[in-house]
Amino acid sequence: MISDRIKANLTSEFRQSVLAKLGVVLLLSILLMGLFAPVLATHNPHEQGHTNDAGASYPPYGLSDEVPMFEDGDITYHSVDGTSEHLLGTNDIGQDIYSRFLYGARTSLLVGLSGTLLATAMGVPVGLVAGYFGGRVDDGLMRVADVMLAFPSLVLALALMGAFGRGTIGIPDPIVLAGFADGMPETATFPGMVVVVVALVTWVWFARVARGEAMAIRNEEYVKAARSLGASHATIMRRHVLPNSLTPIIVLATIQVAAIILLESSLSYLGFSGTTLSWGYEIQRGYDYLPNQWWIATIPGIGIVLAVIGVNLIGDWLRDALDPNIEGEGGGGAG
Amino acid sequence: MSSGKFFVRRLLQGVFVVWGVVTITFALRALSPGDPVNLIAGQVPDQATRDQIEQDLGLDQPIYVQYFDYLGDLLTGSLGYSYNQRRAVSDIVAQHFAATVELAVAATVVALVIAIPLGVVSATRRNQPADYGATFGSLIGISTPNFWLGIMLILIVATQVGFIPTSGRGIAFHEAVYSIFRYGYVGHLFEWFTYIILPAITLGTYFTALITRLTRSGMVDELGKPYVTATEAKGLPKTLVRYKHVLRNTLIPIITVLGLQLGTLMGGAVITEEVFNWPGLGQTFITALRNGDWPVVQGIVLFIAVAFVVINIFVDALYARLNPQVSDE
Repeated sequence: MISDRIKANLTSEFRQSVLAKLGVVLLLSILLMGLFAPVLATHNPHEQGHTNDAGASYPPYGLSDEVPMFEDGDITYHSVDGTSEHLLGTNDIGQDIYSRFLYGARTSLLVGLSGTLLATAMGVPVGLVAGYFGGRVDDGLMRVADVMLAFPSLVLALALMGAFGRGTIGIPDPIVLAGFADGMPETATFPGMVVVVVALVTWVWFARVARGEAMAIRNEEYVKAARSLGASHATIMRRHVLPNSLTPIIVLATIQVAAIILLESSLSYLGFSGTTLSWGYEIQRGYDYLPNQWWIATIPGIGIVLAVIGVNLIGDWLRDALDPNIEGEGGGGAG
Repeated sequence: MSSGKFFVRRLLQGVFVVWGVVTITFALRALSPGDPVNLIAGQVPDQATRDQIEQDLGLDQPIYVQYFDYLGDLLTGSLGYSYNQRRAVSDIVAQHFAATVELAVAATVVALVIAIPLGVVSATRRNQPADYGATFGSLIGISTPNFWLGIMLILIVATQVGFIPTSGRGIAFHEAVYSIFRYGYVGHLFEWFTYIILPAITLGTYFTALITRLTRSGMVDELGKPYVTATEAKGLPKTLVRYKHVLRNTLIPIITVLGLQLGTLMGGAVITEEVFNWPGLGQTFITALRNGDWPVVQGIVLFIAVAFVVINIFVDALYARLNPQVSDE
């Protein structure tokens, strides 16, 4: 459980570590961007056609771009200046990149957090039961884990998306419905299938860590005492085993948020997501417009890097403060 | 437990894992909504053609019969036939796997060459600028999506440096080496290098960061052990102690991590190949998945899983040799 000692460790580690503070600041800013995207956005992220008169997209504010144009069989270059109307410029079909960046933050964090929650909910009970009872249940779980680990997570995730399709759920956006942001999309697209798939790919890590903890805890004196006093297995697992294995699970969950954000961006880069409001998807759009309109692919990538650095720094802070001594997948270049 | 028994058990586990992978990929194909008949016919076929194709593929059979047929085919060494390439999947895998192995090996070399010296410097100069630089660099390395890194390299390096191409493979490594031995011509090797360098950096960056972190923390632990103090007190040169004894003890666990991270390497290769238009298994996998060409998808996943299992058994064997305590388990 989260004891006073743990709280003290967390605060003292946080005070000493510049990186922990940086991580919290990074993650909080991106969280706020995503949460209040409809209010902070300057344009509807789906609205096209924000181009100059000749149809060229705008570079970020303060920069200018030389755009080749065909005129009377000749190529002439026209200069396009960035405008304060579109702070980070517009993409190939004239959508506002700043607004799409904010909505992309929403998708990344939503998938990262809900995917991790789902994976925890799937993996932890399985791991606790296997570790607590041991024997055949445990053998079975470990063999399943071996099979899951033989798949590269991105490859398995892609195959699952290929088989299940790209289902999404439209969720009404409360901020827009309450009238705080006119002209913004009224429903947010929640890439539900991506969340299910990333959880299916990562739950086994949670099962492994929970198993290890349960195996250690089941031999503790207090568990034996509770058992001899007549407590049922279910009660022991709920009151003793689960609370005492929380620390490593929390640290693993933090690491997995980073891995899942990277995995989501890879899936949407390859076109296996359900939403176009995603950093990975935006990078795919920009790829075709290198090197001239370099900002389309560059800007969303910075978002991913900052978000993942933020989560990883928080993960390092928790690990140093709680010292759970676990193995995990790490921040995962490919997840 | 004797080492013979240990490896028999590992082998049986490996067979089980491969069977699990086969079953999961089969289930995915069965669940997928795509219609292979349209893919094969190239259009919407009439009923007679449809019946004929379904019969040829065994799709008219119950699902468990299809499953056992598939297992039977695998046991006789057949991975099936591509729906739209009209070739055996094993041919397709054979054609593309060398490119992927080349890329994966090049990325590993990049990672080891950069990461181990960096980790050593970082650990021996703790809390000095070099250490901070390496630590921060590896934080960025594990936090950067490799497809974006690849695109940035194309943008910054390939479009600025004339002789570095933005994509493609150019020439195979064995052909480049052949032309040196046959004609004494080094140009092809240089050409090979210009094509592979950016994909190799893209795929290798995450591992560079990971191995730097592992080397640093392993070295820090190892440097604190009494034998280091003892050898240094004895008057042995610090460099000798560090590189001969400390580094060797640090590298042993890293080998295991590398084996387990092979999956991440293959996953990374999929997307790196897509970015650089590198004609390997990863790009073939993505294309097949987009087209609903499930036999190719299954074949490549199976190939990767078998490679993972085989290499990890090999790593365990190596590890048991380097550290005899392991086989006692």
